[in-house]
Amino acid sequence: MKLSSFRKKSPWILHYNAGGCNGCDIEILACLAPKYDIERFGMINTGNPKQSDILLVTGPVTKRSRERLVEIYAQMPEPKVVVSCGVCACTGGVFRGMYNCEGGIDQYIPVDVYVCGCGTRPEQIIDGVIQALAILEKKTKELEQSVRLKKEPVKEDTQLNRRNIAGEIIKTA
Amino acid sequence: MKRIETSIDKVKTDIRDFYNPVLHHFMVINAVDLGEKIEVQWFFCDYAHPCEITAFCTQIQPDIEIPSIRDIVSSAWVAEAELVDLMNIKIENTPKGFVLEPDFESGPLRKKK
Amino acid sequence: MGKQYEIPLGAQHISLLEPLHFKFTTENEKIVDTTANIFYVHRGIEQACCSKFKFRQVSFVVGRVCGLCSISHSTAYSQVAEKLVKIEIPRRAKYLRMLVIELDRIHSHLLCLSHVAENSGFEALFMKTMQYREFSMELLEAVCGNRIQYDFSIVGGVARDLKPAVGQMILERLKKFKPQLDELVDIYENNWTLSLKNKGAGAITKEDAMRLNVVGPFARAAGLAIDVRNETEDLLPWKEVGFEMVLDTAGDVHARNMVRLHELYVSMRIIENIIARLPESALITETKAFPDGEAVVRIEAPRGELFYYAKGNKTQVLERLKIKAPTFSNVSAMVEAFKGNEYGSVPAIIASYDPCLSCTSR
Repeated sequence: MKLSSFRKKSPWILHYNAGGCNGCDIEILACLAPKYDIERFGMINTGNPKQSDILLVTGPVTKRSRERLVEIYAQMPEPKVVVSCGVCACTGGVFRGMYNCEGGIDQYIPVDVYVCGCGTRPEQIIDGVIQALAILEKKTKELEQSVRLKKEPVKEDTQLNRRNIAGEIIKTA
Repeated sequence: MKRIETSIDKVKTDIRDFYNPVLHHFMVINAVDLGEKIEVQWFFCDYAHPCEITAFCTQIQPDIEIPSIRDIVSSAWVAEAELVDLMNIKIENTPKGFVLEPDFESGPLRKKK
Repeated sequence: MGKQYEIPLGAQHISLLEPLHFKFTTENEKIVDTTANIFYVHRGIEQACCSKFKFRQVSFVVGRVCGLCSISHSTAYSQVAEKLVKIEIPRRAKYLRMLVIELDRIHSHLLCLSHVAENSGFEALFMKTMQYREFSMELLEAVCGNRIQYDFSIVGGVARDLKPAVGQMILERLKKFKPQLDELVDIYENNWTLSLKNKGAGAITKEDAMRLNVVGPFARAAGLAIDVRNETEDLLPWKEVGFEMVLDTAGDVHARNMVRLHELYVSMRIIENIIARLPESALITETKAFPDGEAVVRIEAPRGELFYYAKGNKTQVLERLKIKAPTFSNVSAMVEAFKGNEYGSVPAIIASYDPCLSCTSR
């Protein structure tokens, strides 16, 4: 079996609190617990960004945690999906405009699924993660596609201008 | 709440005379911006006599260095480090950068002129 | 003296719920020194409460200081604001506040216990404790309308009434929970594998607890009798509803577990007494006054003493609001208690402190 089928059946979750109030974090913990049991979808909470597929972020980004957030995102292997849990991770919520807050994680990293609510309910988190699974599958397919260049192959012996080529990369179906 | 008004020179000796680790519980240091001056308050409570809160209060100019009480109350360094960053006042032996980033414009709790 | 190594832990780590950074200096496996960087979650709530929000709105904002003890924060703020506008709240509102605080304590203590079990490597016990914890979340949802972030206490009283059917439901669920709690006490007390990780780890003496001004279950596990519920009868009548202090002497992770578990019995008894003796009165005292003067309020949050200082200036917006969270007092003792322990027991010790960094940094 290929690696991609395992990824679809068993995505690993990384959880990072970028400055929230703990409310959504304990709901993520409650998702792992027997009543909501997110592990029936094959998900495990892992502490290692290099092994995870889905990043669950809570909280508005504070000035001290933003570097860590970007670093964790950069360390995750492709394909990866980001789920922002809670209204303060989506927009900043009640903390928007406070002097040490940035207001929403999408200013720093691309977000795929927004889960709203203060605090998010476990059902919402599970729904968001299931949507993230579909996006993960789509991203995997996109990654596996071959890339074709639009430009005609060079016939004469001329110098290539790389800047011109880089703007014209397209993906074929 | 029992307020004890004191001055910046006497506050350390006052606290040294008052504080006994077996009897008293140190809570927090607070500062209030009064405009011209800053009021600094040291809060203590009593294990034996409930609900009795003692506050040593003193009013200072913003640029005066406040004596540190961490040789009397060994857990006071957290509160002191927080005050230095948030109120932009000077406390001896306390560097900036514990609460806020070092490059942040400090003193967010001070009033804007 | 052997060679020393520096081991960082955090800001993101599997054993941490929130960003927190420790740097351990170790000799072989023994920890000799620790530095902590705890203000990752500083948002600036105090400043916003004194500028952006009116004093009636602040009770909803301070609830967002911490999701675990949000009711303690909003109750403490409501009390301090009531002192500033000089009103007395109805008796029923006091009882309902105590009810929600105790339900919150049950869910917070069980979360901490399950976290200790997980970090000690006992995954099955984590699952069991989390499973038993769900009833308290359901009860909180029935009483307040939300699983977390209750917005229950407002300035002048409480926002919702307790319906008799909900009170009956609480009593039934508590009756069901009692044997489950007995089972948990048995496991946490007598399980041999858990005791290997927990007994003697992260110990602190009573003298150190006094010297470092520790609060909450951390202090009570070391034998230091500090509990605000034992003192403040004027604001919330804890003694009337059967509060008793729980103390232990060992001061290690195991003793903290035991203190938390036995406090759950006290909380359950308090809740039963509250529902049995719930007085009939209005829910809220209306006032048009503006806050003036300064006031101080202490309240026992699940992690220890929560301290609020507020100063008003006869306008809608407060002059100053100071929040001192329980973990703030415990930071210096947290750093101290690591010394002499093995690096392998660090996750269990951190979980047993029950640190709440979003309270601490605000």
